[in-house]
Amino acid sequence: MSYGKKDEDADTGLVKVDRTQVFQEARLFNSSPIQPRRCRILLTKIALLLYTGEKFPTNEATTLFFGISKLFQNKDASLRQMVHLVIKELASSAEDVIMVTATIMKDTGGGTDAIYRPNAIRALCRIIDATTVQSIERVMKTAIVDKNPSVSSAALVSSYHLLPIAKDVVRRWQSETQEAAASTKSSGGFSLGFSSSSGNLPVNNSTMTQYHAIGLLYQMRMHDRMALVKMVQQFGAAGAVKNPAAIVMLVRLAAQLAEEDPQLRKPMMTLLDGWLRHKSEMVNFEAAKAISDMRDVTDEEATQAVHVLQLFLTSPRAVTKFAALRILHNIASFKPQVVNVCNPDIEVLISNSNRSIATYAITTLLKTGNEASVDRLMKQISGFMSEITDEFKITIVEAIRTLCLKFPSKQAGMLQFLSGILRDEGGYEFKRAVVESMFDLIKFVPESREDALAHLCEFIEDCEFTKLAVRILHLLGLEGPKTSQPTKYIRYIYNRVVLENSVVRAAAVTALAKFGVGQKDPEVKRSVEVLLRRCLDDVDDEVRDRTALSLRLMKEEDDMATKFINNADNMFALNYFEHQLVMYVTSDDKSTFNAPFDIAKIPVVTREQADAEDRTKKLTATTPSLKPPKVGPTKAAQTGAESAASASAAAQKFTSELMQIPEMKEFGNVLKSSPIVELTEAETEYVVSVVKHIFKEHVVLQYEVKNTLPATVLENVSVVATPSDDEELEEVFIIQAEKLDTDVPGKVYVAFRKVNGEGSLPISTFSNVLKFTSKEIDPTTNEPEEQGYDDEYEVAEFELAGSDYVVPTFASNFAHIWEQVGASGDEAEETLQLGGVKSIAGMFSLFTTFFGSFRLTIMFGTDVPVSQTTHTLKLLGKTVNGGRVVANVRMAYSAKTGVTTKITVRSEEEGVAALVVASVE
Amino acid sequence: MAGLVKKVYDWLLRTFWATEMDVTMIGLQNAGKTSLLRVLSGGEFTIDSIPTIGFNMKRVQRGHVTLKCWDLGGQPRFRPMWERYCRGVNAIVFIVDIADVALLPMAREELHSLMSHPNLDGIPLLVLGNKSDLPEKISVDELIDAMDLKSVAHREVSCYGISAKEETNLDAVLNWLMKFANK
Ligand SMILES: Nc1nc2c(ncn2[C@@H]2O[C@H](COP(=O)(O)OP(=O)(O)OP(=O)(O)O)[C@@H](O)[C@H]2O)c(=O)[nH]1
Ligand SMILES: [Mg+2]
Repeated sequence: MSYGKKDEDADTGLVKVDRTQVFQEARLFNSSPIQPRRCRILLTKIALLLYTGEKFPTNEATTLFFGISKLFQNKDASLRQMVHLVIKELASSAEDVIMVTATIMKDTGGGTDAIYRPNAIRALCRIIDATTVQSIERVMKTAIVDKNPSVSSAALVSSYHLLPIAKDVVRRWQSETQEAAASTKSSGGFSLGFSSSSGNLPVNNSTMTQYHAIGLLYQMRMHDRMALVKMVQQFGAAGAVKNPAAIVMLVRLAAQLAEEDPQLRKPMMTLLDGWLRHKSEMVNFEAAKAISDMRDVTDEEATQAVHVLQLFLTSPRAVTKFAALRILHNIASFKPQVVNVCNPDIEVLISNSNRSIATYAITTLLKTGNEASVDRLMKQISGFMSEITDEFKITIVEAIRTLCLKFPSKQAGMLQFLSGILRDEGGYEFKRAVVESMFDLIKFVPESREDALAHLCEFIEDCEFTKLAVRILHLLGLEGPKTSQPTKYIRYIYNRVVLENSVVRAAAVTALAKFGVGQKDPEVKRSVEVLLRRCLDDVDDEVRDRTALSLRLMKEEDDMATKFINNADNMFALNYFEHQLVMYVTSDDKSTFNAPFDIAKIPVVTREQADAEDRTKKLTATTPSLKPPKVGPTKAAQTGAESAASASAAAQKFTSELMQIPEMKEFGNVLKSSPIVELTEAETEYVVSVVKHIFKEHVVLQYEVKNTLPATVLENVSVVATPSDDEELEEVFIIQAEKLDTDVPGKVYVAFRKVNGEGSLPISTFSNVLKFTSKEIDPTTNEPEEQGYDDEYEVAEFELAGSDYVVPTFASNFAHIWEQVGASGDEAEETLQLGGVKSIAGMFSLFTTFFGSFRLTIMFGTDVPVSQTTHTLKLLGKTVNGGRVVANVRMAYSAKTGVTTKITVRSEEEGVAALVVASVE
Repeated sequence: MAGLVKKVYDWLLRTFWATEMDVTMIGLQNAGKTSLLRVLSGGEFTIDSIPTIGFNMKRVQRGHVTLKCWDLGGQPRFRPMWERYCRGVNAIVFIVDIADVALLPMAREELHSLMSHPNLDGIPLLVLGNKSDLPEKISVDELIDAMDLKSVAHREVSCYGISAKEETNLDAVLNWLMKFANK
């Protein structure tokens, strides 16, 4: 309750202020005559409480508020200022604050240079309600263009807050706001404006008004892109705006515009480039950051930003170095070759006494460096690992984790490092990051498996985190039996049964069982059984239950037991499973619980498939053209790998949806669902998108249709989908949407049979016409009119292509599969000459996007090419029929001819290879 | 010379016998509260007075007495707050538009519900029938009946007809209020 406790930085010598006591003292406000000094002190205490997070309950706040409103009878300027300040803070918790509107309005008027005028303006906008905003219009308009920056800023910021509650009124203040943004009254420091005792406004030379004005203009014009462009160009002109914070805002706006509209990318880039050379550091950084975050930023563009950032690396100020390095670190994640040039400067920073700088220096170098430099850097890191916080340790571990996947040949050194830091002191999050990295090594770099498992075994011997111990035990159970010496692990696991808490013991029992069930070696089987028997006496129910079950299953010789315990090949689609469970248990509808949760609705995915998606996600978490999802309204088109990662989740969702439709029951499971394909612009009258579902013998097109016309309903909505080639596909049925109200999306299904049966992979172009009866809603009755009219609406075409039949998969030995598939199947080859693409990197991003959308997992060479002249990509996928597809893409670059690419595709099924190659062109 | 003596006398009065009193002015919207206060404090009557959002506070000087007048908004949403601003004041002034007969029942209801608050027991009440300059006005006696003033208990009650516009009878109002200055 005391101030000291609330804020540790505060001087504890300060008066102790107690809420209840302050509330008692507040009777002072009602006494007559008013004592300005004492009242001011009491108000200060209230302000202190409010600013330090104390909350007055509504009734107390209201009483205080009414008491304070009585103080308006006194004319003391300093008291009045405090009154406005506290009313502003109480406005959100007290009731009936509207009562002081008339009184505060009097204080906001121009003419006087009263010190409290800005405070009055700020308080006014907090207490006013939407219906009354109109009555302060004149006051606000004059205040916005007031020559005093404190007044003008107060009015601008207040308008910003008023905008959401009274949009139409506040929008009328645009020309005043524009004027405020353009005015360059003066320059200099920013004064808070209440330090004077004379009762008059102190002199304020700030240009902050420009920042506030531009912020408000943006809010007003948010939905008018052309107006925003004009604004950025007007204020972005050299010298038009002085305030650096205002320019930073323009930088962000320019970046957003470029992101949203490809047409604007070029002019906005030009502006950003100019800002790289602005005289304020703050602006330079923001521009560099914006450029590095730009979608598909080119090497040339990034180079400009890197160049500027490089200069900051030698700044004497730590914060400047840090800021520059952090942005470089980000760029290095996807354009290491561009950041390369800074390496000498960054090297120096490794030994910087500021560990935050040193950490970023090293992780950046890990990204820009080649395989050869990795060892040296790892040694450097080990040197100061103990001196940095967990948070930075995690940054480093994450960097190493991607490195492991990038340079599998370096696994030994990295494993060494990881196991080393695993023994260090550290919290859960840090330890978890290390353990996860080792898990990845085991999963994706098979050579490291046994060593990594050994380190983990050692770690659980003395692991204080139950959660981690459980996960490691699970992994030991999964991987241990496959190793050359399973018994080694059995000992470690059994130790846990003896020494740990019940949660860990239960996990250990399950892990043990995996060594016993299906075990061919009778010796091993017997010893597992002996160990498990001892667990039958455990004090914990769960441990005993699991033991009994395991022992019983060990006696079973059939596949059933193996499937139950060792099931490593198939698993439930976990994300979806979890989502469905949460939906079930949190259901508001009681009747949901009449039926038990139906696990049959949860789709099963193969472990290979899950691994492949997992790996793609991890590798690309810090790689090209993959930007973290933007907050805010930017509608980012999914890049290849992102959509690949979410594709199986989508398929899971669809399967269960489609299974609800009786007509489709007999089609069986969905083998593959495509990402959503938009067939119209988002702003059209009818918004249509399609998802292609592949079944064993059928193809189902699921259209989502949204009617955006107000006061109309569409009835009997169907889609006439015509394949360009009706030899291979035959329409079976259409399920139409009965009725579409405004803005409520509905679904239409069109099902086709594959004429050539199961194995065929028909490809075709579909043209689509929406058919429906349109009825207007009678505004008086709110009912649709009797007689509607029939209408048609043609939407874009789409392709059913080779990629619709390919699903991701993963295997750790590419060379092996390449040969295997080659031996059994089909091969197709294609050489492409792309003079227009200027570098391997450009080509590379083209291909990752392409194959990403093809669902081929990139197995090798994911990383942006190290060499500038040649690069090889290896890709792997599977068709819905289960046949594997492998691709080898070799690229060579020469200045004369551009990029030459040779694509070789092999497939187990006949014709598929040609299909894939065909769709590259 | 006499003027100077008067000034000195006034100054002495203000300094040594100065008294402040609180007066709350209520009544339905459009009754003329804000107009009356403006005229009492020496301002000009204006025809385009805007409705009061919340309250409005003005001081009226009369000899050595300062009347702090709290003029409250009469729109329905502000009526629940009247009581708060009436607590502990020296006098309550309730203003009625006597040229708008249709609103009289509502005015009566609001007045009586306010007067029933035990918090406000004993506080003198002055009911003013404003806009006596208009032809369609009713008389003071009719007003007393319409407002059922006879049944208002626990306090001193008076009722005058006035006109803020023509400044009729305003002295009587002030004199009545002054009676309670020292209580
Ligand atoms: N003819 C005439 N009109 C008057 C008189 N007094 C006020 N008015 C008019 O009545 C209208 C309302 O006056 P206000 O003083 O704003 O009314 P109010 O009681 O303060 O209203 P709220 O603040 O909404 O409660 C204005 O148009 C005034 O010009 C009067 O004595 N005679
Ligand atoms: Mg009024």
